[in-house]
Amino acid sequence: MTDKVLIVDDEQDFLNIISDRLTARDMNVSTASSAKDAIKQIDEDSFDAVVLDLMMPEMDGLETLKIMKEKNPDLQVILLTGHATVEKGIEAMKLGAMDLIEKPADLSTIVERIKRAKAEKIILVEKKSEKRIREILTRKGW
Amino acid sequence: MSNRIDPLGEAGLQFYSKVSASISHEIKNSLAVINESAGYLEDVTLMAKKGMNVDMDRLQSLAETMLKQVQRTNAIIKNMNRLAHSLDDPESQIDLNALLELMINLSERTTVTRGFKVFAALSDTAVTITTHPFFLENLIWLILDFAMNVTGDAKNIELKPAKAEPGATISFTGLEKLTQSEFNIFLTQRVHLMLAALNCTLQADENKGMITLNLPENITQPAS
Repeated sequence: MTDKVLIVDDEQDFLNIISDRLTARDMNVSTASSAKDAIKQIDEDSFDAVVLDLMMPEMDGLETLKIMKEKNPDLQVILLTGHATVEKGIEAMKLGAMDLIEKPADLSTIVERIKRAKAEKIILVEKKSEKRIREILTRKGW
Repeated sequence: MSNRIDPLGEAGLQFYSKVSASISHEIKNSLAVINESAGYLEDVTLMAKKGMNVDMDRLQSLAETMLKQVQRTNAIIKNMNRLAHSLDDPESQIDLNALLELMINLSERTTVTRGFKVFAALSDTAVTITTHPFFLENLIWLILDFAMNVTGDAKNIELKPAKAEPGATISFTGLEKLTQSEFNIFLTQRVHLMLAALNCTLQADENKGMITLNLPENITQPAS
């Protein structure tokens, strides 16, 4: 099963190239050049991971991350940043980011984090399914 | 302890630090594109070695992207260099057109990130004055920062240099929500010290949504 990823960055050139490279690695890639577009896409579709630029015009990455996590707490978000400060990193983790990668990043690092995000998502889905089954078993008294 | 801090020096360092942080972020963005482009070339090389077809148009577009990013980074570094050299002399003759263009470039990331568009209505002829370039750049940065809190819904700020007898003015327009009371709050000790160091005056016009900076022809003479 291919990894489904959404890349969010206001640098169109960056989006075009990374999208091509991840697609060549059998990933199903969607892109968004604004936070608004990214939020719309997560409303309409499901992703294994979101790679999100920390600094974007109008709505920054942390604000976007907060909205995304409110909409879908299980969403695995990897933040990508040009200037990571310790404070921003801590804030991002508190808001539920899975990881923070500094630009320019090695593609193999990004791929590895996306794979890890997908694995995390599978564990969360399995835990939820198990909980649901237990609830049904308890309710039905089997 | 705080009494020992020179307010002008502190303001200057804060300004320089903010510009440096913004510029390093821009350069990293550019490097990220170049890094991905190089990685893409590596991917294509590997594919070609395996006998797969290479899309020549894609390669050409990749080369153009890389050149564009190199030019972009070069422009960013040139602007940073100009800012750094503005501390060389306490008094130098400058063209306000060039200085405003530099300030718009240096503040672009900050203003765009906050959703604002700052542009200059530059004069066809040079608007020259003799001043302390760094203090003036710092003051324009502070005015822009304040202006972003009082613009209209269009979120546009226009900067316009003009000759005045004697000296020159820089107007900041588009400030539809400007009030005298907010302007008074902006006039901190730091701003007053900067105005005194530049021998200039600053005035607000609520009705026109405009702030005007009146600069002397020479920093050693007071503004009219």
